[in-house]
Amino acid sequence: MTIEFIGEDQREALQEVANIGMGQAGASIAKVLGEFVELSVPQISAVSAAGIPAALAALAGDGVASAVRQAFLGELRGEAIVIFSEHSAHDLAELLACADVLDGPAERELLLDISNVLVGACLGGMAQLLRTTIGFSPLSLLADQVPTSMLLQADEISARCALLVEVRFRLEKRAFRSHLVMLMADDAVAALRRALDRFIEEL
Amino acid sequence: MSVSVLVVDDSAMARKMLIRALPPDWDITITQAANGSEALAQYRQGGIDVMFLDLTMPEMDGYQVLETLRNEDLNCLVIVVSADIQEAAQARVRAMGACAFIKKPVDAERIRTVLKDYGLLV
Repeated sequence: MTIEFIGEDQREALQEVANIGMGQAGASIAKVLGEFVELSVPQISAVSAAGIPAALAALAGDGVASAVRQAFLGELRGEAIVIFSEHSAHDLAELLACADVLDGPAERELLLDISNVLVGACLGGMAQLLRTTIGFSPLSLLADQVPTSMLLQADEISARCALLVEVRFRLEKRAFRSHLVMLMADDAVAALRRALDRFIEEL
Repeated sequence: MSVSVLVVDDSAMARKMLIRALPPDWDITITQAANGSEALAQYRQGGIDVMFLDLTMPEMDGYQVLETLRNEDLNCLVIVVSADIQEAAQARVRAMGACAFIKKPVDAERIRTVLKDYGLLV
C-alpha cells in the first residue's frame, strides 16, 4: 500500500523542521545528562495502521525496549512515542547519580521525565517554527521492557494510516539509544500540510 | 571581487533558508553541495573562500569534512550552520577549525555579525 500523504516540498520542509526540533531536544537532554548526544537525519515515512507496530520494531532493532507515549494537541495533533533501548533506563539512573537506590518504578519514572524533556523540546521547537501552538496530554508508559515487536499493538491505533516522523538520540559513551516517533493520523495530516505550506511560503 | 561561497546541507530547504538569510549587499557567487563528499569535491576544484557547513548529513557529515580539511591542510573559512546546538558540538567544531557556529533556524542578523567579525563584510 502506497500512501502519498505530503508533497515533496512539504516533506523536505518537515524534515528540516524536525531536524531543528531534534537539535533543540538533543541540546536539552545533553544539558540534563551532561553527556554528548549524537543525532541522526530525521526520517519521514507514511505507513498503514497495520504496519505501524512493525515499523516501530524495525526502528528499535532486536531485543527488548520500553516506550512512553504522549499525545499532542492543537492545530497539529497526533502522538509522540519515545522508544528506549534495553539499558537506557539504567544509563539514565547512573548518569543522574542515583543508580544504587533505584528500583523498577523509579527507573520508569526517569523514562517519563526524559521523554517529557525530549517531546517538549522537539515538538515545541517544531510548533514554534511552524507558527502554531501545541499542547500535551500527560505521559504514559506504553511498554516496559518488552520485545520490540510488541511495543505497540495494532488494536491500539485508531487511524487508518499515519505519517511517521522519526528522530534518534544516542549517547556517545553509553548504551543509551532513544527514538522519538511522531504519528499523525491521516485526518490530521491536512492541518500539517497547511502549516508546512505557510512555512514554505514565508521562506 | 566577488566572494565564492559554498553552501553544504543535505536539505535543499535548509540551503534555501540559509541563502535567503545572507546579506543582500554581500557580493558573492554561490555554489551548493548536498553532502560532505560533494563539498570536498567542489572545494578541490578550487576557489572557495567561505563554506557554510551543516553537521548532520548522510554520506559524509560535517565533522568529517572539517577533519579532512585539517588533515590536508586546506584553507577555507568554515562557518558551521547546525541544528545540533549542544555546547559540546559548538566547542568541537571550533577545535576542529571552524571559525564560527550559527544555530538553525538561521538568523540574518547573526550571519551579518559573523561576516563582519571576519572582515568579509563592511
